[in-house]
Amino acid sequence: MREAVQDLRLDSRLRMVDTPRAAAVLLVAGDLDPIDLDALARVHDSIPHPRATVLWQSSAAMSWQSEPSSVVVTAIDPVPQIRAAFRDLLGDRRPSESAVGGGSGLVEWRDVGPYGQGGMGMTGGTPYGRPMAGLGTDRDGLRLDVLPVRLGPFFPRLPVGLSLDISLAGDVLTEVHVEIPALPSPIGPRSIFARALSRPVPIADLESARARDHLRWTSDALLAQGMPALALVALRAAREVQPGDGARVRALAARVRRSGVFRWSLPRQPRLDGATIQGMGLGPVSRAAGLVEDVRLEDDGYLALGFQVQTIDAPGVGGWWQMRLDEAARSLDLAARAGGQMTTLLGRVEGPRGRIEAGDTPTQRALTLLPDVLDGLEWGDAMAVLVGLDLDLAEAPGSASRCTVAA
Amino acid sequence: MVSLVPLAIAFSVFVLAIGAVLVLWWLGDPERDRSRLPVDPTPFAGGHAPQVHAWNRYHARYYPMALVFLAFDMEMVFMYPWAVVFVSEGLTAMIEMGMFIVVLLLGILYAWREHAFEWT
Repeated sequence: MREAVQDLRLDSRLRMVDTPRAAAVLLVAGDLDPIDLDALARVHDSIPHPRATVLWQSSAAMSWQSEPSSVVVTAIDPVPQIRAAFRDLLGDRRPSESAVGGGSGLVEWRDVGPYGQGGMGMTGGTPYGRPMAGLGTDRDGLRLDVLPVRLGPFFPRLPVGLSLDISLAGDVLTEVHVEIPALPSPIGPRSIFARALSRPVPIADLESARARDHLRWTSDALLAQGMPALALVALRAAREVQPGDGARVRALAARVRRSGVFRWSLPRQPRLDGATIQGMGLGPVSRAAGLVEDVRLEDDGYLALGFQVQTIDAPGVGGWWQMRLDEAARSLDLAARAGGQMTTLLGRVEGPRGRIEAGDTPTQRALTLLPDVLDGLEWGDAMAVLVGLDLDLAEAPGSASRCTVAA
Repeated sequence: MVSLVPLAIAFSVFVLAIGAVLVLWWLGDPERDRSRLPVDPTPFAGGHAPQVHAWNRYHARYYPMALVFLAFDMEMVFMYPWAVVFVSEGLTAMIEMGMFIVVLLLGILYAWREHAFEWT
């Protein structure tokens, strides 16, 4: 479903936006953790009137009570219904949806005096019933306000379902807690990487899927860096590449390099060096730190094709970008010469994000690193690192309850 | 006596133009009635309600910015007298100012390397 929603960006009939304030129609795609329904209701209620909701192959359809009722879509293409809902809203043929109970607890400004003056707070009062931020020591040794912010589970740059509790001193993250959600399915059942755990699969298919996954990530990462046009080029490539299209990916990588994103946008300080992540099997992140960690080296099918691991010594966001683009091209080259060769190793597979085993995925391991790796970063750099790690919660194993990691 | 007719015509055109803009704006906004319905005004953070008010004091680090600004703003003070004698002194003045600008440029590159232009 993640890919299907991503592909909607290529559809010129609609425009996807990063904030509910700029939206008219809320598209709820796929299954939701029931615990996130309150947050979804809050997103819904943040959309200005007139508004409508389209539930696309979504489990939320059972418990979503809006007035009027939302549009439920089970078709493969939701765009006609989204457009129809929007047209009906503008033409007054469909009333705007009322709030579904996701209020932010907005209350009146309160404290002493008719205008809230006096008492606590920057200018007095308790603004809109919320306390003021508490004091903390910033990186310059000053005692200034530290703003606690809870991001997610539907924050645009975070994987859906992930919540981060962060403390901000200015735009510097001074404290990070990660809430790891429980998801019903350990790994997308339709993923070829999930199938490769239990039975041999064609290496050509596996490598093509890896290349497409890296290109989809590239598209997301370019969007996060404010390059939507190049992001569409990468997304189009992700949909169209075939085995042997390595040259096309290399041309895209050259365009990304020429865009100046490595020099001007990405944080340059090293993150997650080899000593920190040794043995964690984080795929391109590990190999960008110079670690020769790749499950494919244990697979006789790959060895028969002369597969070799390429590493670079560039731990950090730029290195992760470079590694994924390089690996996407090499995967397509490998897929072209794989012929009908099948994998032979069962029980573990090298996924796009690293080593996958039953009940143990790279996203799960990467999430434990988040608090330390984000601590002390400025906001923009922290977002670049988050996007760079390529977290996919659909890959994280389900558990009975949520757990938290903090630093 | 000065005729007020041209002024009246200009004023009428101005009023008509403002009126046309307002009417077209009203007609062109299909949400004109409903956009006034109340919406949740809290910041969007992905679905969670804010825990504290967004007002907060943080260290904006104006000092390096201010120092860099002062250093490079003062160069203009030297350029005014230079401009007065430039025509009479000719190429010599040009070369001297070029050397001065190069020194300043090196200062900018140094400040850049030291991250002095970053906001926080």
